[in-house]
Amino acid sequence: MKPAPFRYEAPRSLPDALALLDGEDARALAGGQSLVPMLNFRLAWPELIVDLNQVSELAYLQVCDGALRIGALARQATLHRSDVVAAGWPLLTAAVAHVGHAAIRTRGTVGGSVAHADPAAELPVALTALDARFHLRSRDGERTLSAAELFQGALTTALAPGELLREIEVPAPVPGARTAFLEQARTHGDFAVAGVAALVAPGAHAAIALLGAAAVPVRAVAAERALLDGASAGEVARLAAADVPDHYRRALLTTLTERALERVMA
Amino acid sequence: MTGGGLIGASLPRREDARVLRGETRYIDDVVLPQMAHAAFVRSPHAHATITSIAVPDDAEGLLAVVTAADLGETVRAFPLMEPDGVQVDHAHAHPVLADGEVRYAGQPVAAVIARTRALAEDAVELIEVTYAERPAVLAPRDSGVVLTRWSRNAGDVAAAFAAAAHVVSGSYALPRLIAAPMEARGCVAAYEPADDTLTVWCSAQDIHRPLAQLSHILDRPPPRIRLIVPDVGGAFGSKGVVAPEVAAVAAIARRLGIAVKWTEDRLENLVGASQGRGIEGDLELALDAGGRMLGLRARLWADLGGYLLTTTPIPPHTAGTLITGVYDIPAAQVTVIGALTHKVPTGPYRGAGRPDAAYMIEALVDEAARRTGIDPVALRRRNLIRRFPHRTPTGLEYDSGDYERCLDLALELAGTADSDGERGDGADVVRGRGIALYVERAGGGWESADIELRPGGTFAISSSSSPHGQGHDITFAQIAADRLGVTVQDIELRFGDSATSPPGVGTFGSRSVAMAGSAIAVAADDLLAQARARTGTTTIDWPALAGEWTAGGEEAAGGDETAGGGEAAGGGEAAGAAATSEPPTLRASARFGSANVFSSGAYVATVRIDRGTGELTVERLIAVDDAGTLINPLLVHGQVIGGAVQALGECLTEEAVYDDGGQPRTGSFLDYSLLTAAEVPLIVTGEVQTPSPLNPLGAKGAGEGGAVGTLPAVANAVTDALGGRHVTPPFTAEKLWRALHDEPADGGP
Repeated sequence: MKPAPFRYEAPRSLPDALALLDGEDARALAGGQSLVPMLNFRLAWPELIVDLNQVSELAYLQVCDGALRIGALARQATLHRSDVVAAGWPLLTAAVAHVGHAAIRTRGTVGGSVAHADPAAELPVALTALDARFHLRSRDGERTLSAAELFQGALTTALAPGELLREIEVPAPVPGARTAFLEQARTHGDFAVAGVAALVAPGAHAAIALLGAAAVPVRAVAAERALLDGASAGEVARLAAADVPDHYRRALLTTLTERALERVMA
Repeated sequence: MTGGGLIGASLPRREDARVLRGETRYIDDVVLPQMAHAAFVRSPHAHATITSIAVPDDAEGLLAVVTAADLGETVRAFPLMEPDGVQVDHAHAHPVLADGEVRYAGQPVAAVIARTRALAEDAVELIEVTYAERPAVLAPRDSGVVLTRWSRNAGDVAAAFAAAAHVVSGSYALPRLIAAPMEARGCVAAYEPADDTLTVWCSAQDIHRPLAQLSHILDRPPPRIRLIVPDVGGAFGSKGVVAPEVAAVAAIARRLGIAVKWTEDRLENLVGASQGRGIEGDLELALDAGGRMLGLRARLWADLGGYLLTTTPIPPHTAGTLITGVYDIPAAQVTVIGALTHKVPTGPYRGAGRPDAAYMIEALVDEAARRTGIDPVALRRRNLIRRFPHRTPTGLEYDSGDYERCLDLALELAGTADSDGERGDGADVVRGRGIALYVERAGGGWESADIELRPGGTFAISSSSSPHGQGHDITFAQIAADRLGVTVQDIELRFGDSATSPPGVGTFGSRSVAMAGSAIAVAADDLLAQARARTGTTTIDWPALAGEWTAGGEEAAGGDETAGGGEAAGGGEAAGAAATSEPPTLRASARFGSANVFSSGAYVATVRIDRGTGELTVERLIAVDDAGTLINPLLVHGQVIGGAVQALGECLTEEAVYDDGGQPRTGSFLDYSLLTAAEVPLIVTGEVQTPSPLNPLGAKGAGEGGAVGTLPAVANAVTDALGGRHVTPPFTAEKLWRALHDEPADGGP
């Protein structure tokens, strides 16, 4: 479990990092909680590792114009401990608590979790429910994608070669909204088998994102509409998971969604 | 504390501070000058013929590539143990490196020796092996190849079944498990031509078994191999046999005349280290109208893997001999077939056949209770063995025990609340309670000890049994200090170096206190008797006595304090009974042997299952163990908790998974799921101490009870919660949800 040989660079600025990422077969290293095991298993054989950990301009978590801005190097532990996040975006606080263990969250970054796009990861699902925007930067400029545009499949995103997830922007809190994040995992801290992120402001806003319904986070749009139309938690939950073919997974998502909705609608 | 009060004293381990400060010396910490590193080319196939191996002429840092053809006749296949009455097919002994054929994915095919481990792994990528794939057999019942066989027929089984008012049957299975010690396996081997000695540092449970195995494999007598076991970060049975990789590295170090290290990584350990369990059985129990057990029929199939390692034949035999459990069943017909499958070999894993037997018989007894309508506790009471020694129809002799006291205490600790009040199934949950009794074979064989009085009036003890985390040091010090009337600070233990250790067998099967501890007790008694004879007094002033003898020029005895860890004190003086001239001070040696002793216990588990998700929560576990006289209850408690938590992993998540082609699917901890502290329920322990009559300490064994009793108790609780429906462990949420909703077990819409 030693990685194949690679070249290593540790730039100190975003332009330098983007210049390095633009060239050969390069991979960006942030917290290393997914990439390093892949290197050690020799599942990833990049020519060049661009270590972002010296790019301090990416290590931020701040509120700007009401929105939460999460820089590429913001650690999961920083998100977990943030009082500002707990007050304004408690869904993120609840979701990140399920990410691995303290040691993993201390190294692991929010951006890394998103860019890795593991279908069993919690943060992409919570960010999907929160209508987060993803700012991607390359030498050629910047573009901004929604979750539906970014997540394309298991471990696959719209990130192009040479492109870096620079910032995640989470819109200002929905007034009066309550949130819940529930999941089923084999053990505490393990990747989830299924999960749900719910954000509901009665009569005004409903967002339900599912983990485990597909290879990417899924917004249960019909269920959200039914909820705003006054359907019961049980009805909404059944609608949310209706398209999941496997009986067990469908039942699990229905149960978790119903329980999440009971919490936010109580 | 001084003598007399030390048996039963809960003293902390003396190595704890060293372990917590990171001052331990594990196998990877053994660094020799000019040391090379090994990595292995491994079979990607479960079963195949090797058609060619192409080795690159050169690669960065590459020193050698060694195949079975290169080793040729210099190595032999693994020696095999033959438990009493077991037929073992020696033709299927594990080879050091694959010779023309591979029988499991992960099997070592070639050793690559390079300047660093990373360069060795790079070179592995350059070696091209071509294979002709062959069909893989994965289920033991489908295998046409029997590797081990044991059967026993005692009492009139046919008459028992003919006379039965009830015949209850059950089919049970346990998956393969991975021991997953925190420190994986490994070794450093170095050859010294000057004295033709091969020194092997090995992460092993003990010194004598790896030494004997390497001696056989390398055809090199033990004095020409020195085996040193440094600190060991866990074993759980998996380090009682040397890895084929260790044998390869030792042979290569000898051949090339260099020092070579192999530190197993996690991937290698998960796919290449011997696994545990992997057994299934069909059982039938005959009972009379009143619920008396008349006879048992059992047919077990063990999934042994592609080859036999030295210890592979043991666990299925142990399961077969313990299959009648704590019950007085006069007649039994038991057959245990160990079958070839195309997977890594199995071997002992904490419990090593004991949990297998307890799981099957206790599930069957619960099934009998459901069928006959007799209360499961009453049915057990009606059939408990009450007189000792008791000879079982399977050929064991249980030395002592009080099973009913264990049961009573467990029920008392469990209380009645959870069986009635809290029991109520709700809209979202179903609850269940399970009771299980167990008896386990411990001790047996022999061990030895050397003890000497040293200048200053302290004592040095060399034990043949070396530790791998259990806390031998303080436990053995308590035993010796208690006998000698001194403090534990006066006792220094030495372990783990074949150059200085007295002869013995090894550390496994919950035997260290009963055997090695008893040897220390006997040696200490001898030393005390010698001192009394010389001084003519009953109470000995040891410093004065030591001063008397050492005043005139003793042997150099200074080195003892310099070893730092103390655990693998190389150098130092040769302890032992074989003093040639006038002993400068007082010494004694003892060898202690006895038949097996039998620990026992009673466990009660309460569980709930979430109807919506299938998630199992073990709410409470009551663990009552009778390990005979306890030397150090604190460490016994730790053993019980540790074993129970490993068994909870077996209940909840752990399973070595292979796909239909025999590819391992659990090659990382992402897939092989170990429990975390968050999943551990409240565990309430209780103890019964029925001294064994077979040793001077009255000790039995405590290393495995938690792992033996927990599984059947939780399994019975799950079956109870499911209304009698039986599910095979691990009890994953998906399996339990499907069982609750009458869905087929293997998924699909």
